[in-house]
Amino acid sequence: MGIVNLVFGRVVDIVLLPFRGASPWFGLATVSLLTALLMLEVYKLTSNQAAIRRAKDRIKAHLLELRLFQDSMRVTLRAQAAILKANLSYLTANLKPLLVMIVPLFLILAQLGLWFDRAPLRPGEETLVKVGLEENADPVSIPMELETSSGLEIASPAVRIPDEHEVAWRLKATAAGPGRLTLRVGGLTLVKSVAVGGKSLTKVSPLASRGSLWKQALYPGERALPAGTPVRSIEILYPAKNLSIFGLRVHWLVAYLILSIAFGLAFKGVLKVEV
Amino acid sequence: MKKAGFVFAAGTLLALAAPLAAYIGPGAGFAFLSSFLVLFLTFLMALFSFLSWPFRFLWKALRGRRAYKKSSIHRLVVLGLDGMEPTLAEKFMAEGKLPNLARLKKEGTYARLKTTTPAISPVAWSSFMTGSEPSKHNIFDFLSRDPRTYLPDLSSARIGKPKRTVALGKYLIPISKPEIRGMRKSVPFWKILGEKGIFSTVLRVPITFPPEKFKGHLLSGMCAPDLKGSQGTFAFFTEDADKVRRHEGGVAVLVAREGNRIRTEISGPENTLLKKPEEMRLPLAITIDEEAKGAWLEIQGQKKFLLKEKTFSPWVPIAFRPGLGMKIRAICKFYIVALEPKFEMYMTPLNIDPEKPALPISHPFIYSVYLSKLLGRFITLGEANDTWALNEGALDEKAFLELTYANHAEWEAMFWNALSKTPRGMVAIVFETTDSIQHMFFRYLDKAHPALKAAPARMSAAVIEELYKKMDDLVGRVAATLDEKSVLFVMSDHGFKSFRRGVNLNSWLHQNGYLTLVEGKKESAEWFKDVDWDRTKAYGLGLGGIYLNLKGREARGIVAAGAECGALKAELVRKLTALKDGANGPAAVTNVYDRDAVYSGPYKENAPDLIIGYNEGYRASWDGVTGIVNAVVIDDNTKAWSGDHCIDPALVPGVLFSNLKIKTASPSIMDIAPTVLELFGLTPPAHMDGRGLVDVAGLPGAKKRKPS
Repeated sequence: MGIVNLVFGRVVDIVLLPFRGASPWFGLATVSLLTALLMLEVYKLTSNQAAIRRAKDRIKAHLLELRLFQDSMRVTLRAQAAILKANLSYLTANLKPLLVMIVPLFLILAQLGLWFDRAPLRPGEETLVKVGLEENADPVSIPMELETSSGLEIASPAVRIPDEHEVAWRLKATAAGPGRLTLRVGGLTLVKSVAVGGKSLTKVSPLASRGSLWKQALYPGERALPAGTPVRSIEILYPAKNLSIFGLRVHWLVAYLILSIAFGLAFKGVLKVEV
Repeated sequence: MKKAGFVFAAGTLLALAAPLAAYIGPGAGFAFLSSFLVLFLTFLMALFSFLSWPFRFLWKALRGRRAYKKSSIHRLVVLGLDGMEPTLAEKFMAEGKLPNLARLKKEGTYARLKTTTPAISPVAWSSFMTGSEPSKHNIFDFLSRDPRTYLPDLSSARIGKPKRTVALGKYLIPISKPEIRGMRKSVPFWKILGEKGIFSTVLRVPITFPPEKFKGHLLSGMCAPDLKGSQGTFAFFTEDADKVRRHEGGVAVLVAREGNRIRTEISGPENTLLKKPEEMRLPLAITIDEEAKGAWLEIQGQKKFLLKEKTFSPWVPIAFRPGLGMKIRAICKFYIVALEPKFEMYMTPLNIDPEKPALPISHPFIYSVYLSKLLGRFITLGEANDTWALNEGALDEKAFLELTYANHAEWEAMFWNALSKTPRGMVAIVFETTDSIQHMFFRYLDKAHPALKAAPARMSAAVIEELYKKMDDLVGRVAATLDEKSVLFVMSDHGFKSFRRGVNLNSWLHQNGYLTLVEGKKESAEWFKDVDWDRTKAYGLGLGGIYLNLKGREARGIVAAGAECGALKAELVRKLTALKDGANGPAAVTNVYDRDAVYSGPYKENAPDLIIGYNEGYRASWDGVTGIVNAVVIDDNTKAWSGDHCIDPALVPGVLFSNLKIKTASPSIMDIAPTVLELFGLTPPAHMDGRGLVDVAGLPGAKKRKPS
């Protein structure tokens, strides 16, 4: 999984490199455009284009039938049933490309989450660092020490919450730049990156985990935590990234969805893809 | 089962994944959005349909009751089989080869159906739909003529440029609609039915372009043009320069092979958006693939597909771009006649794309779109079956039959769709399959036909027998769908006879001193190029018409109306009916009809002055029809087009079958329209010349009508 994350991560990093100083919309639009083009090609290659065209034609035909035979209840009812049937055929014809696309899309979305979901800490801003432990680990008795790199400081002593199997610190950013937290547990050392300040488009990894493949895929920003400690994850509660248009806050996923669909629609004719 | 399992598993996986992934890409995103939109629309429509149903039911009941109040039937089906010949139908029925038609004959009606004068499809089908003789509907031939120029015009429709345009650079932007005017007059019976609330579907009936508004659906038939505005211009790409030189119809394109690649162009319509109109063309690249026994066709550098030798492509949509972002869409099929030794490929005429029609070919406009989406793209050209391509050798007989039956299958699909959706009302369709195949294969029924001597027979009389059997099978399938309140008419507009010898009327007129050529000329090229109109009294145009060069009517007329005109007509009638094929040969002409004697309608003035009734075996010659004058009056017809009906109407009646008994032994094609109206309880208008064929009052469950 690490290699896959590395490859996808590098690709997204390169694509977004020119847009780091600009409004996040530029980067999001570019990624949306590229994924739309890529997915259109994938869709074209993996789908039965003729079946999709046929199903769409049938839907359109029966919609026209509703208008042409509006005086005939019998025909309109049959047309409605036919539309639903053709719609089902259409969805069935979409299953294969959908299954093929779901994996790379998920990995791309996870990478985009690092760039667009959370904002880095601002100098002077405080937040929580949470260390999640194994179910059988007792946070009270385990010796644990958190160290910071320059630009960061621990603002409060550790709070140990046995019910949650969690230890939390209050962290304060004091200067901009990439920072690092070092957690010493027993004889082992775990490292977690911290983003403070930086350009408007900065990669932020909120969680480092040792968990399942699923967690690694979902949080691809850092290497998996090593085994041999009771620590399951280290999480920094970054503030949400503010993406707005005309004064309205928009979730990046919604914006990405709309943009990629818009680009897809615009280019499906050029790429001759029946969608 | 396996597929269903896969679908279920995939569906489950997606359903589980959905909350996690939320969004799975543009392609699938569109799919789900579109699906949702469709579901939403369907739901809305269903809701509207259900909510409005009581009101519509009430309205329909009130209107419907009025519409069908006096109707004796629920549904009427007219199955037109263009050119079905009574003698052949009778022979095959007697031999037990047409069981379904024989059953109709036994249980209902069979009669020879009197056709129109002249016996030509556009004329006869116009009389069928209007119940009137030709001078009331204004169609007298495929061609009419412009008396100002003596040049031919299409008789059925005029397609002109928009009247108002704005110049912008090299373009002339139209700001008004182009003129598309139907020339057929009078009212088709389905319009009268519609006015009374009776729904009709009319498919491919000749002379229905441009489509007229009425309560029902209509798809235009014969005379609907191709994208070039012609009645069907096929293209033939060949490496054989001789064939290009010899060609008479279609567009022959000489191509050259470079390695295995041929680069050529598809010739499209004229670009009328330009101030100086020029033909639009699309690049066509052909890469011969010997291994695949075919060629890769690439149109405009985009559509690329492999076409095997001797195989028709499906309909290929193409688009011409006249400028300003506009697209003119067409569909065509390709057929590689030969890869070696010389590459030869046929391309059908550029049909108007029914999905995005450049001209209206249906009523309502969306009807052709609907049919295309539901059943696939289909041929829209009026003269659909490419007889000329077979005549010219661009297609062989086998390919022609394959193409013709493929067209037929498309029409059948539309017909079944119309039947299934019209439980009450009228459905009419005309299949031109019977006409086209008989035109091209009739010589196999006539062992003395000159075409059989000119070229060896490759097929046999079985082609026509097979055609009749197929049509009989269709009749059987249609009859099986009828209930006791449905009526079926199976009919043809005229019959068929062998066309052995062609008569060049213009040559005859020239030799007899009625048509004079300019000084020094012994022959005239097409369309009277070398005719001296100031010394010409009469000329022949079309498939059987003679026009007098009348003063005040023709631009350079010399014959005075009145006595001189009457005397000239009488003289021509006398001489033409005496025309023999050789000194002791048979008469070439059996009757010459004076329009003043046979017509009485308001458009009589547009008719030819005389209509020639050729004898069996004769017809207007190929040269004569196009205004060529030469030394030959009667010569052999050696073309594949070996059967015809443009002869004396008395010799080529059509057929009429019905599941109802009729009350006369000699019905006429003009009787169909009033009969349909009477069956639906309507009184035929007084201008109709036909008379009702059925004793409506005697029908089971007939409703009493007040006499009109």
